[in-house]
Amino acid sequence: MSQNRILAMMLSVLAGLVLVVGGLSAVLLLSGGDDTAGGGDGTGTSTSIGGNPAEAASGRLRLGGSDPVTLDPHVAGDAGSAEYIVEIFSGLVTLTPDLEIVPDLAESFDVSPDGLTYTFTLRENAKFHTGRQVKAEDVKWSIERAASRQLSSPTAIAYLGDIVGVREHFFGLAEGGIPGVEVVDERTVRITIDAPKPYFLAKLTYPTAFVVDRQQVESNPRNWTRRPNGTGPFTLAEWRLGERIVLQANRDYVLGAPKLSEVVYLLSGGSLLTRFENGELDVAPVSIADIERARDPNSNLGPFYQTSQEFSISYIAFNTNVPPFDDVHVRRAMGLAIDRKRIAEVTFSNMLAPATGILMPGMPGYLDDDLTLPFDPEAAKAELALSKYADAMPPIVITEVGAGAEARTDTQAFLEQWRTILGINVEVRQTDFATFLADQDAGRLQAFNAGWIMDYPDPEDILDLKFHSGSSLNDVAYANPEVDNLLDRARVEGDPAARLGLYQQAERLIVSEAAWLPLYFSLGHTVVQKEVIGWFDPPMVVPRLRFIEVSR
Amino acid sequence: MTATTLPDPATSPGPLARREGESEWSIVWRRLRRKRLAMIALGVIGLIYGLGLFAPLLAPYSYNEINLDRSLEGPSRDHLLGTDRLGRDMLSRTMYSARTTIIVTTAVVLSGSLIIGNVLGLLAGYRGGWVDTLVMRLGDIFSGLPSLIMLILINVTLGPRVTEAMRWVEDHTFIDGLVASGFASYMLVFGALSLFFWVGTARIIRAQVLTLRENDFVLAAESSGAGPWRIIRYHLLPNVSFLIILSVSATLGGIAGSEIVLTWFGVGVQPPAASFGAMLFEGSGPRTFQANPHLLLVPGAVVTALLFAFNLLGDALNDAIRAR
Amino acid sequence: MGAYIVRRLAWLPLILFVVSFATFTLARYGPGDPISVAAGQIRDPEVLERVRAERGLDRPIPQQYVTWVTKAIQGDFGESYLQQGFSVSELIFPRMWISAQLGFVALIIVFAVGIPLGLLAARLAGTWMDPMIIGTLLFLQAIPVLVVIPPLTWLFAVELGWLPVGGWDGIFHVWWIGGVIAIPVPDPHLYIPLVAFTLPGFVGVARLVRVSALEVNLSDYVRTARAKGLSETAVQFRHVLPNSLLPLITVVGFALAGIIEGALFVETLLGINGIGRFTFEAVTSRDYDIILATTVIFATVFVLTNLLAEICYGFVDPRVRIGASRG
Repeated sequence: MSQNRILAMMLSVLAGLVLVVGGLSAVLLLSGGDDTAGGGDGTGTSTSIGGNPAEAASGRLRLGGSDPVTLDPHVAGDAGSAEYIVEIFSGLVTLTPDLEIVPDLAESFDVSPDGLTYTFTLRENAKFHTGRQVKAEDVKWSIERAASRQLSSPTAIAYLGDIVGVREHFFGLAEGGIPGVEVVDERTVRITIDAPKPYFLAKLTYPTAFVVDRQQVESNPRNWTRRPNGTGPFTLAEWRLGERIVLQANRDYVLGAPKLSEVVYLLSGGSLLTRFENGELDVAPVSIADIERARDPNSNLGPFYQTSQEFSISYIAFNTNVPPFDDVHVRRAMGLAIDRKRIAEVTFSNMLAPATGILMPGMPGYLDDDLTLPFDPEAAKAELALSKYADAMPPIVITEVGAGAEARTDTQAFLEQWRTILGINVEVRQTDFATFLADQDAGRLQAFNAGWIMDYPDPEDILDLKFHSGSSLNDVAYANPEVDNLLDRARVEGDPAARLGLYQQAERLIVSEAAWLPLYFSLGHTVVQKEVIGWFDPPMVVPRLRFIEVSR
Repeated sequence: MTATTLPDPATSPGPLARREGESEWSIVWRRLRRKRLAMIALGVIGLIYGLGLFAPLLAPYSYNEINLDRSLEGPSRDHLLGTDRLGRDMLSRTMYSARTTIIVTTAVVLSGSLIIGNVLGLLAGYRGGWVDTLVMRLGDIFSGLPSLIMLILINVTLGPRVTEAMRWVEDHTFIDGLVASGFASYMLVFGALSLFFWVGTARIIRAQVLTLRENDFVLAAESSGAGPWRIIRYHLLPNVSFLIILSVSATLGGIAGSEIVLTWFGVGVQPPAASFGAMLFEGSGPRTFQANPHLLLVPGAVVTALLFAFNLLGDALNDAIRAR
Repeated sequence: MGAYIVRRLAWLPLILFVVSFATFTLARYGPGDPISVAAGQIRDPEVLERVRAERGLDRPIPQQYVTWVTKAIQGDFGESYLQQGFSVSELIFPRMWISAQLGFVALIIVFAVGIPLGLLAARLAGTWMDPMIIGTLLFLQAIPVLVVIPPLTWLFAVELGWLPVGGWDGIFHVWWIGGVIAIPVPDPHLYIPLVAFTLPGFVGVARLVRVSALEVNLSDYVRTARAKGLSETAVQFRHVLPNSLLPLITVVGFALAGIIEGALFVETLLGINGIGRFTFEAVTSRDYDIILATTVIFATVFVLTNLLAEICYGFVDPRVRIGASRG
């Protein structure tokens, strides 16, 4: 039985240890020690507000975040990764906080009269973080890499596909480089596209067109993104998976050095707002559980609260190929029967703004008047009566991505209104994200709840991609020759105002035919510490950190 | 009665040799009735199951009746347990959630524990040899898998396929409403849970049959030329019936809990069917709890009561059966 | 004994084969794939096909499986699709380490609290205290973790502000006294997950200990010890405790399983970057290689733990003849 005793002793030693540790921790608790918040580790010595402006670049900004899917600009397709990438890398052109397209690595560019050729002149002081100058050859190599077979980037065709030769390069149909990208001299690069496309320049602001360091990528093709050598306003100083990402200012950034010295992203999860309240974070998003508190100016969050417009829309899409949604009256009736304003108020505490059309406020071409179908039960019933399905409604299933156990509360409210007002029983089904995408891409969904986030600030990015009958992203099979015609003309219209006018006409038509029921435009809700100067939440991902300061 | 000589339930199934079926049942029942806690537990289970079964008759509202004007109210005369964000009556939703629990536990017990578990257990124990090895290894594999993750994986990946298959059935036969009624999602949850809940039963039954097989009466029956099915039916089954009850009572809580967890993760029973998992999900989060504690506490209390009652009853049954 | 261990271990590859093949097929059989998840919203079917082909996802499943196994045997578990540029091991092991730390501490506490309570219940057998203790523990087991965590975080993190709301920062902090003496102090992130992990576990341990302690209490040698005039405390510690611990070995495996499962929601609710939450995210985004690696690792751990428990049992108590139990 001696083994027994050994075992018993081991267990009792462990038990004793636990008790001691527990006792110690109780002491710790009672003494109220929370040394976790002791963030200032001496790197950021405080400077007073309004001090010497040259010295202001000492701030350290602490944000919450999550691990990016990748820091390789050429393959990243998600906004989460782009947040980091646009700060570390840059391209020929970039977006300002006001979403204007301005030269970045290029100092200027010329567009040929036929709109097919773009000639960029690189800045002399455009440099990688290592100090190496960015040359025309780097731009060409980067674009060829982004569109290469081997990389098989899911974003290459979407953003670079307009360039002559990119498709052939990507699908391996042609050997050699991309004829549409030519090195004229060391500082000049010429890009030729297949048709005059006024929105092409906007696509070049997306990470797929960014410049990467050939030497670094080739020397370490697998792991170079762990400490990438970019050209952007910040360098990646540290990335510990699931813990933190640290960006440091690139003093030599061509458009001006950042005002901050360092940005720390805490990736470990947990409630960011609570960390904000504990003083561990400078900025935190506000979720629905806290929104009432944040809006109340007298609460502890009130003074820090900011709200902002985002270029993203959520909508219900009807597959116009499938009964009953091949009938415009059914779609319109369902749109007229839902009270989005009231439902947004109750289910989202007005964290989202009821959509007034497809283009969001701030987008080029946005119209002030509400284009959407109003909530009108009587009109809805009348509309339904016009339908050929009025007496024999096929079963309707609306699919959405399930974030958790419950169908989205607003969807459930819609179902109830369709049932009580129109007498239509709609079933909601939740699937996981991967299944949803597969079904959506295959056109298998009858109706679904989805969203769209603008990739670049041009109406083409939503109206043409989602509603042109020839677009592979038109997952509602919407086909209206009139709309197609408007969109085709807008693609090549040289006059900006006339072009937006065409999009506006198309938008009116689409909304009134209710291929989508636009639901809400997203709003950003954040709390920002008083020490952070100039914080803004742009409607889409743009490089922004270099404009922000911390007076601490 | 002091249960001083309780054998360890996990390792040694006690001998249950005598086989005068009728009277033994009543002995067990009498013993059980003397335990006040067990009776309370039985009462709680009965109450929750009753409320669930008769939910359509008893519930003051439909589980899906939305009233946006009465969003997130506390308990009141109209809504005894308050309302959720969409103004739905929490009491009614709780009753319908209990209904889901009943359906799932019953179906999984029937298919998983009773049918698969017993058949495989009896087979393995009686036939021995490679059948035994195969069944036990299969059991090892299933109990060796991280079951919750596998359940989620099965539900996530097979869910859409099952729905597709059901739609095909709907389109090609006269059967209708399989998908709309939520039948597909229920079937998937049953099937997936059954895969994992037969192992315990099968192991217990097998162990018991192994000892029984060497008993005189089985040997006698065998030598008198009785076929295997006859022996299983008349000699083995009656002797393991108590064990079956025990193992079933031990798995009930687990089955109910699994369904709740799966639904909480969004891969179990699908809306609009009400489930405790969905209700708990809506109430989770410290801030939500601070603002509207009833969202969590109402379903939480019922689930806790139910699982506690299952535990107590299982314990008492264990005592009553083993102390015969 | 040795032969028995070898025989059991011989099953491991087969089990792993079945587990990995089932997971592999299941994951790939589901609609959707990580390529479309990672692609973002502009998804051209032609482009996705191209990308799939480049990654070998267009080949038949058995062929893909063989490729995977060949690499896995060499220790290469593949690469994550949704955390690109990092190998599966790099992604899994840090998270597994977090979960393992948490699980280990939880396991110790379950035993450290469950054993004394079980002994106590056995000592008090026949009084109302015995069912009281076990009943309370049964009740604690019945409260779902999903119900425990929100009120706990609300009370201790939001209202009182004593503990962080979530996250993870290691088990111990080191307090330096005078820069010389180091005292390890449990990290405040630890408490809420620990409570959630351990509450359901106490009853299993306590009940087992209680049952065997009752048996031991009545055994001859304990009676002899008492008759010799040994104090009750001495009897408990020298005789009852060691002999009551035996059956516990068999539940280590179960306890471990419970903790791995628990990790899934504890980590999700509390924002801990552990393996449970990570696996769930991998499942919903079809990050094939991650799903595979975690299930295979979990299965190995389960099987080995159970085998180890059996071996220990046979080692500690020679009365148990493992070879005869046909295991």
